[in-house]
Amino acid sequence: MAFSTTVSQRKHIKRKAPRGFLKRVFKRQKPHLRLETRGDLLVHLNCLLFVHRLAEETRMNAFENKCGVIKKEHVQAAAKVILKKSRG
Amino acid sequence: MAEAMADSYDGDSEPTTRTLLRRVLDTADTRTPRRRRSARVGAQKALLEPPSSRRLSSPTKMNVRRRSHRVRSFGRLAHVHTSGNVEEQTPRTLLKNILLTAPESSIMRPESVVKPVPTPQVVQSSRRDSSRGSLELQLPELEPSTTLALGLLAPGRRKQRLRLSVFQQGVDQGLPLSQEPRGNASASSLTSSLNLTFATPLQPQSVQRPGLARRPPTHRAVDVGAFLQDLRDTSLALASPDPGKPAQLLAGKAKKVDAHAVSFPNNSSTISGEDGVEPLQDGVDEEAEERMEESLSVSEVMDTTGTQGSVRTEKSKRHREMSEAVEAKEPEGSSGDEDISGRTASPELASSTTEFLQARQPQFLEPALPPRTAVLSSEPLEPLPTRLPPRARTPGPRPRQDPHKTGLSHYVKLFSFYAKMPMEKKALEMVEKCLDKYFQHLCDDLEVFAAHAGRKTVKPEDLELLMRRQGLVNDQVSLHVLVERYLPLEYRQLLIPCAFSGNSVFPAQ
Repeated sequence: MAFSTTVSQRKHIKRKAPRGFLKRVFKRQKPHLRLETRGDLLVHLNCLLFVHRLAEETRMNAFENKCGVIKKEHVQAAAKVILKKSRG
Repeated sequence: MAEAMADSYDGDSEPTTRTLLRRVLDTADTRTPRRRRSARVGAQKALLEPPSSRRLSSPTKMNVRRRSHRVRSFGRLAHVHTSGNVEEQTPRTLLKNILLTAPESSIMRPESVVKPVPTPQVVQSSRRDSSRGSLELQLPELEPSTTLALGLLAPGRRKQRLRLSVFQQGVDQGLPLSQEPRGNASASSLTSSLNLTFATPLQPQSVQRPGLARRPPTHRAVDVGAFLQDLRDTSLALASPDPGKPAQLLAGKAKKVDAHAVSFPNNSSTISGEDGVEPLQDGVDEEAEERMEESLSVSEVMDTTGTQGSVRTEKSKRHREMSEAVEAKEPEGSSGDEDISGRTASPELASSTTEFLQARQPQFLEPALPPRTAVLSSEPLEPLPTRLPPRARTPGPRPRQDPHKTGLSHYVKLFSFYAKMPMEKKALEMVEKCLDKYFQHLCDDLEVFAAHAGRKTVKPEDLELLMRRQGLVNDQVSLHVLVERYLPLEYRQLLIPCAFSGNSVFPAQ
């Protein structure tokens, strides 16, 4: 696997999908729609990819500014780009 | 006579171990030794018969010959022979004999020199004879400490002083240990005498064995003064306190009461029913305890969700030991104003417990006395279900945020993990906003796709289409590949259909 599921860092990232949270969010947004069981896992996958891309873009922005710390501006700029990309 | 013998033998003014042993033997000679000694006694008697003790085969001990020379009487001979025989063997046997035959009275003198003698005797005997259960059990620990010292006793006289000192050290070390087992075993005469004779003060075990010292648990002293100050400051800042009430309460009660009373102004301002302060005083304590615990748990939960201010967290953590009531009341009071209306909302536990606590406050304004166990655990639960249902319809902003933020925080953590760089708090908040926007977009898109397919249920096909449009899935990279890359095994199994035995596919298409 290209992306390993093992976490080498100190803080262990949960690999569980917050399925209840996702379902609740969808219900809040679109109460007239229903989400399938396996659908929310794919939603979770989508979120992971989105966050991944966002993080990459933010890091690139921070490197370009030669900052060792990620700042709000980096995140904002990256978000603009990625959100535009993520629009289906 | 014994002394003369001793002096004559060694010529030392200072009594040595050997002399002491000899004295013991002399005094103890009247008694008949036990079975094992019988052989030796017989041997001694046999030895006594020949007039000269020179036949004694103890070439190593010059003293023996000397003693034999000095023997003038049968008794002396007997003593000598016994001593010679015993000496002939080892100090161990010597000690053993002494142990066996030692009288109850003071073999031990109140001298420091005498003290080490009986202990090694005991040790030696314990080592040697398994039959002597009591003594043996008592002093197994003495063996290692005294072995070295005892071993040094065997050779010449000049080293006896040294040996004794070492011996004493070993004995002293072994003393604290020996005291305990002695206490356990039956009080034999020897042991009792031994106990009596050891006048040297026993050093505490910790001094000799610093590793065993147990530090008293360091209780974190809660700075009550600072806490009260903080409470008053925040309470004054938050609500308009009634100066009369806290003053009275503070004056009349103890510290803890003060702490509780400080929170009262908040409650009194927010809630009206304060008249039943005194009669409800006792009842409050137990209830307050419940509230404390619940509020603590609540506050913890709140903290994790990040909705509650830091004030609550700090306070709750700080004063957990002291007075839990205060913590509950103070933050409750502060947020009480806002949330009285919001009480109705919140199916969530956190908010419900908060409400409950706030509701409880008007009834019980008294401080909680020293913490009691949760006796009235049932009480807090009862009002909860009764109050929740009528107010579940209007969700307040706060309870809505908490679980939402909790869920978002999961992805925020993932973000910080992927970023691999330190991030500012503002940046994290920005990420939360982005995620919110993203979810909105997501839901809209899925709705469109489902409507396009004429469905009202969003299916995985819609999701795949979404990802294709996003550019994540293309002809080179399929959805299954992404699933395999990013999701753990359990989810992969659920998503990717796999053929199993018996011509079955899971999950079913």
